[in-house]
Amino acid sequence: MKYFNSFIKGGVLLAMLMLMSNFALAQRTVKGSVVDAENGEALIGATVAVVGTTRGASTDIDGNFSVDVPSGSDQLRITYTGYEEQVITLDASNVVRVQLKPGNVLEEVVVVGYGSVRKTDATGAVTSVTDEDFNQGVIASPEQLIQGRAAGVQITSSSGEPGAGINIRIRGTSSVRSGNNPLFVVDGIPLSGDATTGGGIDAGFGSSASRNPLNFINPNDIASIDILKDASATAIYGSRGANGVVIITTKSGQAGRGTLGYDYSLGISQISKRYDLLGPQEFLDAYAAFNGAQAAANIDGGAQTDWQDEAFRTAYTQTHNLSFGGGDGKGNYRFSIGYQNQEGIVVESAMKRLTARFNGTRKFIDDRLTLGTQVTIANTHDDNSPISDNAGFEGDFLGAVLKSNPTQPVMVADPVTGEMIFNQISQSEPNPMAYIGLSKDFTDALRMLSNVSAELKLLDGLSFKTVLGFDQSMSSRKSALSRDLFFGSTFNKGRLYLNDIAVNNRLWENYFTYNKGFGNANLTALLGYSYQNFNYSTKSFEMTNFGTSDLDLMINNLASANQATGQNSIVGRNSSSATDELQSYFGRVNLSFSDRYLVTATLRADGSTRFGGDNKYGYFPSVAFKWRLIEESFVPDLFYDLGLRLGYGITGNQEIPHNLYDRRQRYNDWDITNEGNITGGGLGDVAFANPGLKWESTSQLNVGLDFAFASGRVSGSLDFYNKNTNDLLIQVYSAQPASQPFVWRNLDADVINQGVELSLNLAAVDNDNFDWNVLTNFAYNKNEVRNFGGLINTGQIHGQGLSGAFAERIAEGQPLFAFFVREFGGYDDNGVSIYPNGDVQQFTGASPLPKLNLGLTNNFRMNNLDLSIFFSGQFGHYVYNNTANAFFTAGALANGRNVTTDVPTSGESNLNAPDVSTRFLEKADFVRLQNVSLGYTVPMKGNSSISSLRFFVTGQNLAVFTNYSGQDPEVNVNKPINNDPNGVPSFGIDYTAYPRARTFAIGGSVTF
Amino acid sequence: MNTKNLIKVLSVSLFSIFLFSACTDLVPEENDSIVVSGDASGGGDLGDPADLLVSSYKDLDFFINQDRVYSLYDHTSDEMIPPTRGVDWGDNGVWRTLHQHTWDATHAYVLETWNGLNQRAFKCNQLLAANPSPAQAAEAKFLRAFFMYHVMDLFGQVPFREFDQGVDENPQVLSRSAAFDFIEKDLTEALPDLPNTGPAADNSGATQAAANALLARMYLNKAVYKSDRPEGPYTFSADDMNKVIAYCDAVTSAGYSLESDYFTNFGTDAATEIIFTSIQGTPESRFRMTLHYDQNPGGWNGFTTLADFYNKFEANDTRIGNYPTPDGTDFSGVGRGFLVGQQYKDDGDILINSRNGQPLEYTADVKLSGATTFEGIRVVKYHPENMGKYILLRYADVYLMKAEAIMRGGTASESALDMVNNLRTLRGASSLGSLDEATMLDERGRELYWEGIRRIDQVRFGTFDDTWSDKTVTEGFRVLFPIPQVALDSNPNLVQNAGY
Repeated sequence: MKYFNSFIKGGVLLAMLMLMSNFALAQRTVKGSVVDAENGEALIGATVAVVGTTRGASTDIDGNFSVDVPSGSDQLRITYTGYEEQVITLDASNVVRVQLKPGNVLEEVVVVGYGSVRKTDATGAVTSVTDEDFNQGVIASPEQLIQGRAAGVQITSSSGEPGAGINIRIRGTSSVRSGNNPLFVVDGIPLSGDATTGGGIDAGFGSSASRNPLNFINPNDIASIDILKDASATAIYGSRGANGVVIITTKSGQAGRGTLGYDYSLGISQISKRYDLLGPQEFLDAYAAFNGAQAAANIDGGAQTDWQDEAFRTAYTQTHNLSFGGGDGKGNYRFSIGYQNQEGIVVESAMKRLTARFNGTRKFIDDRLTLGTQVTIANTHDDNSPISDNAGFEGDFLGAVLKSNPTQPVMVADPVTGEMIFNQISQSEPNPMAYIGLSKDFTDALRMLSNVSAELKLLDGLSFKTVLGFDQSMSSRKSALSRDLFFGSTFNKGRLYLNDIAVNNRLWENYFTYNKGFGNANLTALLGYSYQNFNYSTKSFEMTNFGTSDLDLMINNLASANQATGQNSIVGRNSSSATDELQSYFGRVNLSFSDRYLVTATLRADGSTRFGGDNKYGYFPSVAFKWRLIEESFVPDLFYDLGLRLGYGITGNQEIPHNLYDRRQRYNDWDITNEGNITGGGLGDVAFANPGLKWESTSQLNVGLDFAFASGRVSGSLDFYNKNTNDLLIQVYSAQPASQPFVWRNLDADVINQGVELSLNLAAVDNDNFDWNVLTNFAYNKNEVRNFGGLINTGQIHGQGLSGAFAERIAEGQPLFAFFVREFGGYDDNGVSIYPNGDVQQFTGASPLPKLNLGLTNNFRMNNLDLSIFFSGQFGHYVYNNTANAFFTAGALANGRNVTTDVPTSGESNLNAPDVSTRFLEKADFVRLQNVSLGYTVPMKGNSSISSLRFFVTGQNLAVFTNYSGQDPEVNVNKPINNDPNGVPSFGIDYTAYPRARTFAIGGSVTF
Repeated sequence: MNTKNLIKVLSVSLFSIFLFSACTDLVPEENDSIVVSGDASGGGDLGDPADLLVSSYKDLDFFINQDRVYSLYDHTSDEMIPPTRGVDWGDNGVWRTLHQHTWDATHAYVLETWNGLNQRAFKCNQLLAANPSPAQAAEAKFLRAFFMYHVMDLFGQVPFREFDQGVDENPQVLSRSAAFDFIEKDLTEALPDLPNTGPAADNSGATQAAANALLARMYLNKAVYKSDRPEGPYTFSADDMNKVIAYCDAVTSAGYSLESDYFTNFGTDAATEIIFTSIQGTPESRFRMTLHYDQNPGGWNGFTTLADFYNKFEANDTRIGNYPTPDGTDFSGVGRGFLVGQQYKDDGDILINSRNGQPLEYTADVKLSGATTFEGIRVVKYHPENMGKYILLRYADVYLMKAEAIMRGGTASESALDMVNNLRTLRGASSLGSLDEATMLDERGRELYWEGIRRIDQVRFGTFDDTWSDKTVTEGFRVLFPIPQVALDSNPNLVQNAGY
């Protein structure tokens, strides 16, 4: 109700805004045209802004514009992409003709939250990536567009699965929770960090992580992605800025004539690297070496099966995008519809997405009122594969693929009917193809993100904007396991899981902006209020005792489960609904003097329902300075641009579960256990209540230098930062007796991230018919935990004989998630592991956090051909190969499981216990040829109805240079202890992750 | 009013709306949980005592898992060994260190047991604060005593947090002696309000018999719990032994008696011995943890008994078990008691070990490390064909406690030897000529093997620091487990037990 009231207030406010807009000030109308200075051609869609006001216009199809200039204003700033900016001073005439010179240095604009600034005026560390520099090919979600492209931004998919979850770390890892991703802001709407689709549920296979919540955005709709990295930039988002802010701006219609565009691409993917497993005869020989020839003959199934051939496929991805848009000086619109059908390289896995988007703005009442809306609707269908993060020794699907006996056939004839059925010889050695063939698991999600905004110019330089945002999603995951699957209590009973999540988030924001020049000083001020309301509800069911093995019938005809009394067939596992609110006041002042000294000061006060009592509000200030040295006479002419930035600020983090401060009781989940028993339903405390919880805060100091030489042909930025996170929100062990084993606390410790970032752009060759541009980014980060008295273990290791094993520990003086394992010293004469430092776990100096991230792009253009080659790399870190630990050991081979070819000759005894040690800890340095794209733009005659036509071929993940023995070194399967979703996450552990693909795509785009 | 003024007025109004648009006090409405608002003064709502009691009973399934509390009681004793079989059951040494008595304060199951038992005891505090009826309060006190008893027994000190002490308060710590008194008080206070009901296969509620049985165990071990030196030697007083006898007699008078067929106790037809079971869960893990992968039901091929323990039985002792009678029905290939030698399928065919292609024959000898898949004698008390509820207190234990109390100086109408021989005759074993500590401990082992009590008996009889197969450590201080390191870090009132 409270929240409804706020919308009523909003309505009243809007009505008032409409009314008052009829009043106008004294002004004159200036008309003119904008042309190319070299060839005199009209420039369509150039921006004409009245300096010192928020007024402006765009040029039409003939390059003409008309703009209202208030009295007191006498300057127009004309900008156009690819041309140098020009400011003209108006005389008495009301007609002007502007000639713009093509420029090398684009007048780039960066989005900074509640507004945008010229890049040269940005006081904070902000990286902007626009669509020209986006990664190409098969792109499932927005962050893949910028993977490797921005210094200090490390993006790791948890696996190669279509739509897999992501980890984005901006300037290192500072928080120790799953809520470690940056804040995403889409067209001004901050998204909540909650998962919008259900994770996979355990039926003895283990559980899997949720999908990427950003999948609902069609990457083709994105115009630019801006990454706010330092505190002075992110503080405007206060509480949620500590891990950085990623601002996604979608495409809007271009002023000028209407355009109609269509893109198509076809991607072809294959697994980039297979495991080198033993063939059937090699397997039997190696097995015989341990167990004798008779035993080998007994396990010889007589077939020749390459399980990897069975499991992996050539996958096709088709993408269609259709858009049309247009606009004029009064507004613009763009509508797009996109369809992507991405097959995964694991059989049966896929993601299908249909998206529709409308963006529109329109000015009314002498351009004083601007109404705008952005709406996107996405329907996503995921076909999930039975791959989990934490399967036991039986293995999930991929584990079973790796370890299955290569002499066993996939199918055998049913002894009774003669029908071909899956060959399922044992529960502990399941047939992976039976997992696939006898299960069905899919998620349907519908998400709508929309906003409506109204901006009103009140007085000269003062405007008011109100924004209503809606983010709603519904997802339903359905997962059926057939009674024919010879596995645990599924056998002869079947199992069905239903898991729904509904998210309903609303936003109402109001803010004033004020812009005024005073002599050679300029002031821009922002003052705002924001209210967000987040509702998250779930429900899940579990059923068994199915008579039918028809998976569709199980899912769509629930009555096929025998639910008679006493059958223990159905449990309503649980449901939940929680609402959180965030109420914020924010302000920002930008001052510039002589275009030389710039100051930005920001303050945001955030109040959150995540904290109780007096701790609800957190205050997050920042201040930043920029000295545009280039304006100083002492700077040598060699420089084309030179600016020094200094910023400091405090940001916060509130990503903890709902209401941990009141003592609350709930009935806990019911479950049908793997043995088929029903347990659960006890009433108990939700959490060990902690009324003292307060905001986690991160203070960050940033020093940066922006530079350009040689007429702008060499440009770049260099940044140094020091980030200190304290009052870390984390789960620690309760002092027993307590209602829960863990309690959320603000940890009395510091997590320090220190680093250097360099981005460097070089226009190596710049001729009429040949360009060569080199773009590099480099980021070094050092992470350390200080002033911490406790110990926190994480990184659970799974597999046979590995219960309770873990590989990472958080402790004083170590980087977060430092590996904590035995030192492995080879095998003794009996083939048993030697641990020279004792059979104890210890820090080895290895960290899963890369010290160095590199990106290198070479762009070539020759006449109408363009070629882009992009390498990315990470260095200085390790990956724990849990896959090898669980599956590739002599003991596994001796138990009749397939292994990699190095195992039989490793010298390991079949009786050796492969405990967690450096044996499975591997250097993960890599360089990846991530993207090569060749395009051809067909030259068009001026009078053609086709305005542009382009074809391209792209290769993604073409080569990986690494010594890592696993499938891919860029991997992160989250493995908290006991799979607790709120537990301390792990980093850099590989456990049967969905493999990565190499993809080739061909496609074209046409614009009319 | 001219335009300029109007704009001014509007601007001011907008600012005002803006400033007063603070529309929430940031107090969330809870729709999916009950906010418990009560305090120590008795005001407010502290939760539904009936539902909390149901929940506390469900908490007893903590004793069923093969790891945690059960592993601390049985793997550390001479009746069970957790062999590491190649890649199987290495588990980061978590089992091996228990058998070898080399655990330390970071042992995972030591921590999980500490957390699990204390958490469950705390829920009883919350329940007792929530205005329970006298009957509910009695049950809550019994349950609290049951959980705290195990903390006292395993760790030698018991932390205590009042229901209203928040996260920033460090729980007080009761010494072992003070904890004994606390638990004893809970039980004696609870007794009059508990139902006085007799045996039943699914006896899963607190009864007078259950409280009396636990009190008997408390007093039988009182010399241990009150000793200044946890590792002994212990001095058993006649007064305490007479109390044991009185509590045991109280159980008997509630209608309990020895079951004539030993394995009936572990099935759904159990009639005379079952005092207290866990309402939640089934004893399924007990046979899974020992059976081979290829048996039906498929097991995890884990724990076995030791040859020396198996050799304590006479051939005619029915407790040693019986060979299966495979008749084609599900699970008929699996025997009861000790599984030795060749194993069979349900249809009577011999079972082939799929790991090595040879017939599956269990051997008596078993190594702790580097064992093969067929080493070690398996133990099945709860049979998959017909398993009852998981037993937490059984009458045979009470019966033997009385005999032991008499042996240790208590006064009763029967002699300890007659009682033991009476039991042995019922179980098909020959009568003993005399009784001493060693034979009494052996008899308890034969009757109560793998029921999660062996460690208590070995400590009381002073054999916990002896050596046995693959166990050479003889450190007396190991009669107590260490306080987990994270617990020490979380509560400065705790002091690490001597020796760790």
